[in-house]
Amino acid sequence: MDAKTTEKFAFLTLKASILLVVSFVAILLAYIIIQGYEVLSIDFLTSMPKNRMTEGGIYPALMGTAYLVGLSIAIAVPLGVFSAIYLNEYATPTKSTWVIEMAINNLAGTPSVVFGLFGLALFVKFFDFGPSLLAASLTLALLILPVVIRASKEALITVPLEYREASLALGVTKWKTTRHIVLPAAVPGIVTGIILSIGRVAGETAPILFTGAAYFLPRLPDSVFSQFMALPYHLFVMATSGTNIAQTRPIQYGTALVLLMLVLAVNCLAIVIRKHYRNKLKR
Amino acid sequence: MSEMGSVDDIKVEDLNLWYGEKQALYNVSMKIPKNSVTALIGPSGCGKSTFLRCINRMNDLIKGCRIEGKIHIDNKNIYDRDVDVVELRKNVGMVFQKPNPFPMSIYDNIAYGPKIHNVKKNEIAPIVEEALKGAALWKEVSDRMDTSALDLSGGQQQRLCIARTMAVKPEIILFDEPCSALDPISTNKIEDLILELKKDYTIVIVTHNMQQAARISDYTAYFLLGELIEFGETKQIFENPQEKSTEDYITGRFG
Repeated sequence: MDAKTTEKFAFLTLKASILLVVSFVAILLAYIIIQGYEVLSIDFLTSMPKNRMTEGGIYPALMGTAYLVGLSIAIAVPLGVFSAIYLNEYATPTKSTWVIEMAINNLAGTPSVVFGLFGLALFVKFFDFGPSLLAASLTLALLILPVVIRASKEALITVPLEYREASLALGVTKWKTTRHIVLPAAVPGIVTGIILSIGRVAGETAPILFTGAAYFLPRLPDSVFSQFMALPYHLFVMATSGTNIAQTRPIQYGTALVLLMLVLAVNCLAIVIRKHYRNKLKR
Repeated sequence: MSEMGSVDDIKVEDLNLWYGEKQALYNVSMKIPKNSVTALIGPSGCGKSTFLRCINRMNDLIKGCRIEGKIHIDNKNIYDRDVDVVELRKNVGMVFQKPNPFPMSIYDNIAYGPKIHNVKKNEIAPIVEEALKGAALWKEVSDRMDTSALDLSGGQQQRLCIARTMAVKPEIILFDEPCSALDPISTNKIEDLILELKKDYTIVIVTHNMQQAARISDYTAYFLLGELIEFGETKQIFENPQEKSTEDYITGRFG
């Protein structure tokens, strides 16, 4: 093949790959929207499931997922960001920091069901929180911690050394330099990490399976020690157990659609926040 | 310019510096007078920037960097154990090779130092104005203090960085090749500014530009391979160098 043909072939291969990927996403989205949009209504979002989940809405599952996201992000983000700051700004690279980073990377690759069992052993049993919103949120926080740490660390690395030098040369301490110069410049990257995490927290089923998600609980949790319903587990329950799978099918698609839109909405919000900070920095 | 009556501001005694195993400075000693401009010249890798960064202890940030010897500022060795590096850097400001304004507004860039050092809120605006006037930037930016400092031209950014340093009210300002990223007109402005600044500050400047050293400095130090070869009044160094190597460098035989 001459250079021109190779060029054309390479270009077509690349283009075909991206078209294939986009069409998968498009088909998935279209299918869920078509199957699910009919059950969507304000009532569906705000009412309790009824009649062995074959009727009614998904209110407790929706709120449960919202609580999970809020609580686990609130736990994982400060912990993760502080760890990343320590690793990138303070720790001198030694064997032990290498081991720590390897551990974080491995944590990111650990199957989520392992996190679920770990959460059961540690939070539910050992700390005796019982199956609860708290135990499940802590488990999910552990799950997303490596994502938050890695994204934050990458974001900190990209902050130019010149900013740090300029601040230190003004007689500013390292912590104040980190707090007032480095961290604000890293916010867009850190927010990206949080976006990815929210998607995972909202969608994961295995980690909450053993740690607090309820099969059926038609009320909201009244404290962090209550059990709760969550969208992905609700979907799993309706799709696998019971004898009314056919009857619950529209509700299943509706639930999937709501979960998808929830994650999408949060992502959009995070993108807006990230853009806002980027504009503030660059311009 | 007479040596008589001038007060030494920075006294360097037998300074040696190592990066890991590699020695980068050998027994450097010199006395830099107050309210003067001292130029550090020499070919790339001669240690002049390394030496400059010893004066505000920026080399502390480099891993594996070891320093022996003394630098006295106001009769205090800055490498003594009880010296607060943060206080030292307030007193010894630094302007870098590449203009490095923070990604924030012009006002916030200058106000950053005083704010962090707990200057009262109502005193900050006058400090910002004074610093910008001192750096000959006030006229150009006074009507757009809220815009990003990154929108300024390279030369304006560098003067902003000088103003930012001045806002912390140091006694000494170190310049690390401040014009190497700038066009000739901006360079000219910075040079005029440095001549103006020496009334109030002691200035040490690293430069690759021989004409620049000749134009603005009172004293010149010539470095080669980590050693201070010659130090004296600029006029003498350029017109009547005592060392063969200094003459070779100045006349452009190498470097």
